[in-house]
Amino acid sequence: MGGLRTAESLRRYKYSGHIQILGDEWHMPYNRPPLSKSLLAQDQELAQVSFPIKSDELNTEFTLGDGVRQLSMEQQSVTLQSGKKIEFDFLVAATGLRSKKLVFPNNLQSERFALRTFDDAKAIRQAVGSGKDVVILGSGFIGLEVAATLRGLGCRVKIVAMEDIPLGLILGEPFGEEIRRRHETKGIEFYLNNRVTDLVGNTAITHVKLVDGQSLACDIFIEAIGSAANVEWLEGNELDLSDGLLTDSSLHAVKSNGTSVSNLFGVGDIARFPNMRFELPPRRIEHWNIPLESSRRAAREIVRQVVPGSIEGFESEDGFNPLPTFWSDQFEFSILSFGEPRLADEIRLLEGNLGEEFIFAYLREGSLVGVAGIGMKGKINKMRKDIIK
Amino acid sequence: MITIKVDMDKCQHYGQCVYEAPNIFKLNENDKLEYLASADESERENVKSASDICPMQAIQVFD
Repeated sequence: MGGLRTAESLRRYKYSGHIQILGDEWHMPYNRPPLSKSLLAQDQELAQVSFPIKSDELNTEFTLGDGVRQLSMEQQSVTLQSGKKIEFDFLVAATGLRSKKLVFPNNLQSERFALRTFDDAKAIRQAVGSGKDVVILGSGFIGLEVAATLRGLGCRVKIVAMEDIPLGLILGEPFGEEIRRRHETKGIEFYLNNRVTDLVGNTAITHVKLVDGQSLACDIFIEAIGSAANVEWLEGNELDLSDGLLTDSSLHAVKSNGTSVSNLFGVGDIARFPNMRFELPPRRIEHWNIPLESSRRAAREIVRQVVPGSIEGFESEDGFNPLPTFWSDQFEFSILSFGEPRLADEIRLLEGNLGEEFIFAYLREGSLVGVAGIGMKGKINKMRKDIIK
Repeated sequence: MITIKVDMDKCQHYGQCVYEAPNIFKLNENDKLEYLASADESERENVKSASDICPMQAIQVFD
């Protein structure tokens, strides 16, 4: 997505050079949010989640199924898995994330999944069915969404997580407790403040063992314990890869010695950028709007460097300070959030009732840093302009 | 003129489009999306941005 949006933006800003998009997946760029929801629920095909592409306007060469193995800044080239070498004037790193997976003493792989790609979603869809025992490790957004969708397909779903309260660290305890209550009402079982210590079975998993001694029946095991940035191919170039690719406030990659690289950019989930809106140390933001907004910004930087003065008003553009946005559909309720609720030192129920629709305001030192709720989308949207700039 | 079409089966009424193209999209008092099906050429970039930012990729723009 970050690659595609960068190419689209470059063309929109009248960049006339050759553009190549390199990807390790065989599929053309597609939209990931439906993977845990409609695609899993209805067994949709790729066409239903592919981004529409106007080939003539985009005028871009796609190389698919051949990921980048190694960057050489010295040679200004990347080497692909196939050995093919491609030189560049500008390189945008948008290699995203991969699902983390644990290693167990009995490290069975059969009927064991994570959800990140279209192929992952198809595999889960084919494995599940009514009456299956599904154990999901992790109570973050993906874990909860997958739980809700698979419950809707008639699976018996259990969530095991280290947290005390699902999403409690992100949205606050009352909000997280309400999410848990809604899931429990639908028949989801939670094993919180807990973890899986081993898998039980010979070739197929039959049970998982928990640290508190319980054993849960398990036909299908899904790990939803977060992601790691795909940055190994950037190693050996003196870049700061301590968590993703460190960038400056205009998304140029930053070297370990602190200097920016003029023709290498980080876009999307892998970019660890300073967001001066919240005056925080640089960090990665794994929200859907970040690839889009960061790719536009990187494209403007490239065009500015190639043809100075070609984008009106851009010479004086501020740093890249996006407003993080996220949403989540689980069962019949949907969560919408703007800003950084996790930064709050004070959380207020602003409107509504926990059992129905509601909005929380998240404040830090008295300033609004985030807003989130269930339902009330119109009102939540209106509040985004009140979040600190 | 441009023509705008929203797939209301996909739309989840998040209202991200409202921010990008406030003259075209709005959430009504029931939090449901309402939009203008056609607009002046001057709205093209805003509607394109709205289409890009839509989490459900439900918005299409036609000439």
